[in-house]
Amino acid sequence: MVEDIEMTNVVNSKNESVQLVTVEKWLESIDSLSSIGAGVIVKPTDDVELLKDSLDKIAIIALDFNNFDDGRGYSHANLLSKRWEYQGEIIGVNAHIDQLQFMLRSGVTSYKLLDDYENIDDIDYSNGFSICYQAAANNSGLKEKF
Amino acid sequence: MKNKIIENVTIIYHTYKNIKNMYEYNTDDTQFLVERVDQFEKQLKRYLDGDLDDAKFKSLRLRNGLYMELHAHMLRVAIPYGVMNSRQLRALADVADKYDRGFGHFTTRQNIQFNWIEVAEIANLLRELSSVGLHAIQTSGKAIRNITADPLSGLTEGEIADARPYCELIRRWFNLHPEFSWLPGKFKIAVNGAKLDETALRIHDLGLRLLRNDKGELGFSVYVGGGLGAVAVIGAETASFVPVEDILSYLESVMRVYNLKGRRDNIKRLRIKFLVKELGAAEFSRLVDEDWKHTKNDPELKLNINHLVQLEKDFALPVKPLEISGFEEPVDFNYSIWRKNNVRAHKLSGYSIVNVSLTKLGSSPGDVTSKQMRILADLAGQYSSSYLRTTKRQSIVFPHVRKDQVFDLWQSLEEFSLASPHQGTLAQIVACPGNDYCDLAKASSIPIATRVQQRFDDMDKVLDIGDLNINISGCENSCAHHHIADIGLLGMKKNNVEFYQVTVAGETLDETVIGKKLGRSISGDEVVDAIENIVNVYLENRDEEERFKEVFKRIGLKPFKERVYG
Repeated sequence: MVEDIEMTNVVNSKNESVQLVTVEKWLESIDSLSSIGAGVIVKPTDDVELLKDSLDKIAIIALDFNNFDDGRGYSHANLLSKRWEYQGEIIGVNAHIDQLQFMLRSGVTSYKLLDDYENIDDIDYSNGFSICYQAAANNSGLKEKF
Repeated sequence: MKNKIIENVTIIYHTYKNIKNMYEYNTDDTQFLVERVDQFEKQLKRYLDGDLDDAKFKSLRLRNGLYMELHAHMLRVAIPYGVMNSRQLRALADVADKYDRGFGHFTTRQNIQFNWIEVAEIANLLRELSSVGLHAIQTSGKAIRNITADPLSGLTEGEIADARPYCELIRRWFNLHPEFSWLPGKFKIAVNGAKLDETALRIHDLGLRLLRNDKGELGFSVYVGGGLGAVAVIGAETASFVPVEDILSYLESVMRVYNLKGRRDNIKRLRIKFLVKELGAAEFSRLVDEDWKHTKNDPELKLNINHLVQLEKDFALPVKPLEISGFEEPVDFNYSIWRKNNVRAHKLSGYSIVNVSLTKLGSSPGDVTSKQMRILADLAGQYSSSYLRTTKRQSIVFPHVRKDQVFDLWQSLEEFSLASPHQGTLAQIVACPGNDYCDLAKASSIPIATRVQQRFDDMDKVLDIGDLNINISGCENSCAHHHIADIGLLGMKKNNVEFYQVTVAGETLDETVIGKKLGRSISGDEVVDAIENIVNVYLENRDEEERFKEVFKRIGLKPFKERVYG
């Protein structure tokens, strides 16, 4: 279903497997997909605003961070989490270890790293700093200086 | 003499050490810099071990100011909004000696670059800099870069407001911003609080101009989408007045629209100017306003007034007005020439602003040796409360020099060959490194600058010509900002021969104007003659003190064109 990232399911933080559909598929059949507890995969090129009116029906939102230099996912996370107050899990998938702090502070609530990072300690990268200089969706654990 | 200066500096430095004229990093800030170096060191190790691929490492190292070329690696260190103290300049001199070949290079965006860095030593280098509050964070890459500010901020009469406290607050805000660190392209900001625009803010991705509204409240007018390069564009005004306390939320909205909608598919159209152009300035502004509606009342995004008040104290001038009685300037021909071009009025009585030009015949503008850096640091300690500024014209400003000590300072500068009297004249050419040093350049820059300087080697004539900018870029990347000079040269290559496209009457000080193309490009052999012809047309047509751009406005392109192309 989601061809270019070869992923149709994601494991949420409760260790349950959830089926993911594209934004396009979701908009075609919101009610039936909602009834089976489907989640939505959002790629950087997607218009995340299209999900705004059906957020409370989405079981989980997966943001795809596979493209290291494409930063749109961070704005998607911020809008979903801070502006529209999406209450479900926002999982960053195909995540890069060096970008965890940016993802988590932008509003991503959990992540699934790409396989390349198996042997690297992600604690170092998700919590590398003790201070933050700007308001973001999530500043927990950081000394705020803004 | 040298030892004497250094002895004096030690004493003077201690005298001034409790007086601030800038924001100095506290324990938290320094810890942050150390954490950043630790993280980068780990990334570097993974890269060297083969666990991090070239593309991702490139993206990460650029955000730490590191360029890797085939034979040499360059590190760009931020001098935040061009403000530094003597201690920091000495640390930069130490870096030049220890990790480079005894050189540094001040850039047109007020930063400093080192060109011969060993990758294995980078973490130690950055650690040393962090101990004096310096770093290379976001000095490159597709992120928000160091702010360009007026080098005379806080010093001149009639200023709307000192821009530095705002620069510092905006600098903090974009420091590792979680949402805006992986942008479509690089993003450069300029902030100006003076009447004249020394920052060229409308050729930046985003320019902020401090102003007061009818009620006397302070705010910013905002210009977005300016830039030079192959397509020169003047930034469009997207907001005529954003109250200072709302500036961060407004900036976030600009960045969000750019981050989400900016072109990422075409490497030649990554900058925000292309987005603004494609959408139209009105539509772009509408999108920003639409986003801003949601955030402008968010208390977390209001500018922290307590921080602002504290910063205004940190940036307070370290000197008080001084009545100097019975003082007369010494009569010395060379001194008076230097003084005319290099010394400006300070808003406080008893003080002057001194500009030190680093331009030397045949060398790359902005180049500085470690020895010169130490001399400048010492002299700033002795004569300018230990503070210095860097400028867009790649010179150094001593912000607060007692009027009765300017002559002594000049004598010391003269002794160390730092008293070039041509600040602002045509002899102070801005040039990029050109194809002698840069892989991107199509043509040479510095040799042309040298030939122009040789042609105009009569100082009387140079002084008679007066304030006139010549900028030379070796390719369309326009590093030397040729579009906004009185006379601009853009280097190119045709059938392996170097040619230069000449533009005239660009400017940014009073208004922003992109220079007009004179006509067909001119070969390297003939370009110095062309410059001389242009200067002569100016001299023959000017009334009294009329500047180049004023003459051009009055007489137009034709007389210049006719003389050059005959």
